[in-house]
Amino acid sequence: MLEVDLLSVSYGKHVALDNVSLTVSPGEMVAILGANGAGKSSLLGAIGGRVTPAHGGITFEGADLLRLPDHARVEAGIALVPEGRGIFPGLTVAENLTLGANPRHARAGADAQRAEILALFPRLGERLGQVAGTMSGGEQQMVAIGRALMSAPKLLLLDEPSLGLAPIVVQEVFAALGRIRETGLTILIVEQNARATLALADRAYLLEAGRITGSGPAQELRTDPAVVRAFLGGAIPAEQ
Amino acid sequence: MALTTLILGLVLGGTYALLALGLTLQYGIARIMNLAYGEFTLVAAFCLVALFQGAGIPPLWAMIAVAPAGYAVGWALYAVMMRPLVTRAGNSGRLEVDSILATFGLLFLIQGVLLVVFGANFTSISYLDQGVRVLGVSVAANKLIAFGICAVVGGGLVLALHFTRWGLTLRAVAQTPGSAPLVGIDVNRMARQGFALGTALAAVGGASVAMHQTFSATGGVVFTMKALVIVIMGGVGNIGGALVAGLALGLVETFVATAIDPGLTLAATFAIFLGVLLWRPQGLFGRG
Repeated sequence: MLEVDLLSVSYGKHVALDNVSLTVSPGEMVAILGANGAGKSSLLGAIGGRVTPAHGGITFEGADLLRLPDHARVEAGIALVPEGRGIFPGLTVAENLTLGANPRHARAGADAQRAEILALFPRLGERLGQVAGTMSGGEQQMVAIGRALMSAPKLLLLDEPSLGLAPIVVQEVFAALGRIRETGLTILIVEQNARATLALADRAYLLEAGRITGSGPAQELRTDPAVVRAFLGGAIPAEQ
Repeated sequence: MALTTLILGLVLGGTYALLALGLTLQYGIARIMNLAYGEFTLVAAFCLVALFQGAGIPPLWAMIAVAPAGYAVGWALYAVMMRPLVTRAGNSGRLEVDSILATFGLLFLIQGVLLVVFGANFTSISYLDQGVRVLGVSVAANKLIAFGICAVVGGGLVLALHFTRWGLTLRAVAQTPGSAPLVGIDVNRMARQGFALGTALAAVGGASVAMHQTFSATGGVVFTMKALVIVIMGGVGNIGGALVAGLALGLVETFVATAIDPGLTLAATFAIFLGVLLWRPQGLFGRG
């Protein structure tokens, strides 16, 4: 569904991504694990159209994605929840969700989609009239994810959805991601919280200093000693 | 007497509010501070007069064509003159300064053409100027019609901005342009629409000016400044604030002109402006 081929991104002399290749198949949840500054956000930014790559290719459903400007990629079926969330802080929750359904293909099913999202995040339903910028970080993240789902995406890109959230809220967000995953939506997620992410994902890539240094099924990576040392912190879980 | 001032002030304020609405749309959505804004008002006013005197087309009929024509001119101007500035500025924030310099030049260009074509004399027409009694006060019919047009166009726009998906999209771009592409909004397209819509409002404002006021080719800058004063008074980006501030400015000017001296209207406008800038720079209705 998504093929990233030898993609490089640089900011001036700093190379953020160096010949990165990866694939995502329909229905899969793929995780990209990496430390701060490993290039995770640059990768999602390039797929979402917020970052222009130096070279390399990205195809989505067989079409060249790099030829589309950022806004057109949403129409093509790619929804990005960026780091920092990118919601409309001055508008209400309801308005944010309505704007999410801006792509043409999303409008017809918008009401049904909205009902599903409110079932997923009941708190949004209670706060529809609240100005989004006045909500807590976790609630804003729910608005951002809900808004992305309103665009009826084929591929959901999540950039560090748990960043800066309290542990209890992180659990809530991951529980919601688990339910989104059950709907069969294809997801590419970038996270520092490797343990929770690997528990949900089918496959994962390891990104270090702009390069892919490993990949494999999430189940295997969870017990791989190198991964445990680098990303999970501490020893291999006791069941080993 | 007080009632006369009130009604005439509201009539004048209606035009001001409409002009301010257009300027705030251009600045809020396209991020272009258009110093030639008042010139577009004048072009529309002169066209209305020329059509009336030259071809006998009644201003009310010409009015129907003025808004779409203004929109088309704004659209073309954005494509030819503003788009290169937008592209060059990227995200650097240079657009604001560049657009001020470019439209400052455009101001003199349009003014020069107007002076050559229409001359430097004050212009006005007499059209529907028989008095109509409103609450016991005699008001010229053309003033009432001009006010009605401003109320319908301005009010309609405010409703559209708050109750339609299109209006929601415009507000989203005005408030958080960086997030707009995430929901598939083409910010450049909305900027062009906002600029064109602002020009259309300048033109409708100009047409209503032509119906009941005297104006000259060099007076465009006064319209721009008044619209700017109102936008800042109302709080930049605050549509409702611009409407209220516009009406308020019309009332103050009319009061000063009738109770003190007509020569002091502009001085009064700028006294208010200075006061707002000094004590409430976020605008009378701005937050914070």
